[in-house]
Amino acid sequence: MTQLALVIDLNVCVGCHACVTSCKQWNTSGWAGPMVDENPYDADPTGTFFNRVQTFEVGNYPQTETVHFPKSCLHCEDPPCVPVCPTGASYKREDNGVVLVDYDKCIGCKYCSWACPYGVRELDEQQKVMKKCTLCIDRITDQTLPESERKPACVLACPTSARLYGDVHDPDSEVSVAIRERGGYPLMPEWGTRPANHYLPRRKTRMHITEDELQRADNPLTKEDITVYTGEETLDDVTW
Amino acid sequence: MKRIVYREWRIAPERYWGILAILAGVIAIGGAAALYMEHEGHWVTGMTNSVVWGMPHVFAVFLIVAASGALNVASIGTVFGKRLYKPLGRLSGLLASALLVGGLLVLVLDLGRPDRLVVAMTTYNFSSIFAWNIFLYTGFLIITVGYLWTMAERKGNPFMRPVGTFAFLWRLALTTGTGSIFGFLVGRQAYDTAILAPMFVVMSFAYGLAVYILVLMFSFHLDERPIGERMLKRLKNLLALFVGAVLYFTLVYHLTKLYGAKYSDVESFILVNGGIYTFLFWFGWVLVGGLVPLGILYHPERSKSASWVAAACGFVIVGGLAALYVIIIGSQAYPLEMFPGQTVIEFGLPGDIGGTVAGYAPSFPEILLGIGGVGVAMLITAVGIRVLQFLPESLADQDVDPHAMARSAG
Repeated sequence: MTQLALVIDLNVCVGCHACVTSCKQWNTSGWAGPMVDENPYDADPTGTFFNRVQTFEVGNYPQTETVHFPKSCLHCEDPPCVPVCPTGASYKREDNGVVLVDYDKCIGCKYCSWACPYGVRELDEQQKVMKKCTLCIDRITDQTLPESERKPACVLACPTSARLYGDVHDPDSEVSVAIRERGGYPLMPEWGTRPANHYLPRRKTRMHITEDELQRADNPLTKEDITVYTGEETLDDVTW
Repeated sequence: MKRIVYREWRIAPERYWGILAILAGVIAIGGAAALYMEHEGHWVTGMTNSVVWGMPHVFAVFLIVAASGALNVASIGTVFGKRLYKPLGRLSGLLASALLVGGLLVLVLDLGRPDRLVVAMTTYNFSSIFAWNIFLYTGFLIITVGYLWTMAERKGNPFMRPVGTFAFLWRLALTTGTGSIFGFLVGRQAYDTAILAPMFVVMSFAYGLAVYILVLMFSFHLDERPIGERMLKRLKNLLALFVGAVLYFTLVYHLTKLYGAKYSDVESFILVNGGIYTFLFWFGWVLVGGLVPLGILYHPERSKSASWVAAACGFVIVGGLAALYVIIIGSQAYPLEMFPGQTVIEFGLPGDIGGTVAGYAPSFPEILLGIGGVGVAMLITAVGIRVLQFLPESLADQDVDPHAMARSAG
């Protein structure tokens, strides 16, 4: 079975929120919309978001670092939100593994929000039905779009290409290769929900350069020029 | 034992209609509050995406739990054969139905989309405990009406015991289901434990009986019908037993959680540093809802006074609401542990920001909706006892107590 998912590279995510705004723009005007806001601009914006970049610090001051952690529905392979829904409005698509909500069947009981251990379900405060990331289902299944555009809005918007998209069950897909070769991990696997979305860990790239590597040991001029200079003009002083 | 005579509630019409008018006013205000929340949207409530169930659910769950507990009084008479309780059966059935209808109304009106109730009633996902509860609630109503018929109609009398037994088992299943709504939730640290189901059953015994005793005393007092000392003593002893059992289950629930290191944070939140939730737990749930009523009900002198017993019932109800507030809202307010040991500083859900507790202050309309549900339950009860023969004419010892009869005969 195909299992579409996102793989997010925490190493290159800079927390710019381009994925948040592009998600909001695409989905509020599309099939899943509207995503209403009561107070979208102040310090504590409220409203419905399918994707949030959660920022936290690691370490103790002053040895702290900031981690930006984009989080949306993880499209679990065993999603706890689906069996708890009394009307079956929450479901997992069999053809591509995307977890969706049928807005026409949702009665707004909010029980799925309790069941999700990742806190990614949000009640639309005006429509009063439960909403969540659809993986831009209306984009990725739209055959009229060119192949290169059949991706979630957040993936297309990410300026650092931190977000990869594909089938995690296909061992040769870009996402599977990234998970396999770059240590991709799911969020809180201990819940047994088998999240389809994965994260690539942050890595520190350090260069190890020794003093002698900074001096050119094999400078041919040094080797071949046997002239002893005593302050006169040399070839190096010539202005070209 | 004398033949029990049941009579309609014969209070003065102006008093009866006055009570009805007050209850209708309460219900109208509750209805208007529901309409306001429905029209304006979810943001006029205190609820957020972290605290998704608020004050209406506290009232709704209380009423539903109390409903199944209220039916217990009838079960004691029918299923367990205690003759003293038999005259109390009809009111027990009526009150159970009324409380359930009140609770369900609050529950339904607090849904995001109450207009889609027909979807909930026609499309079921049987892997959801919530869907099973829809059957348990509607089934409870149907069975209770049948049970009332066996109690009130001579032709139905032979079926009283089997129907009563079935109703008793059903009510156990109902409260188990209600407790399991929370117990089955693995995603919240305060839940994910099987003990919530039996704890809710015991809570229902206590809260249902407290409501029952209050309604019985109020209706008898207004109509100047007597309640014998022996009857009062039996009821208050039973209530004390149930209140003690609630405290016992509360202790075991928290000990279970405290034993595992992974729950120590949420336990310290509820028990030590959770602000309003800690206060409501110790002061509301344990003290007002447990120790104070126990002190009254086992006090050698005060327990003989009807006023003190009524006060103890009131305390149990207030403590019950506090307990459900802690269970339902406190557990949501405690933040989900997404990044263990880390504190989200930006753009989390409300509960995640700063790793702090999600704020929740019940809005006025939410409280009014909850009280409206209580109004519905009381209105149904008042009309029921007025127009039908639910209340025994007397609960005086010589009329209902077989031992008193034996004593007087001897």
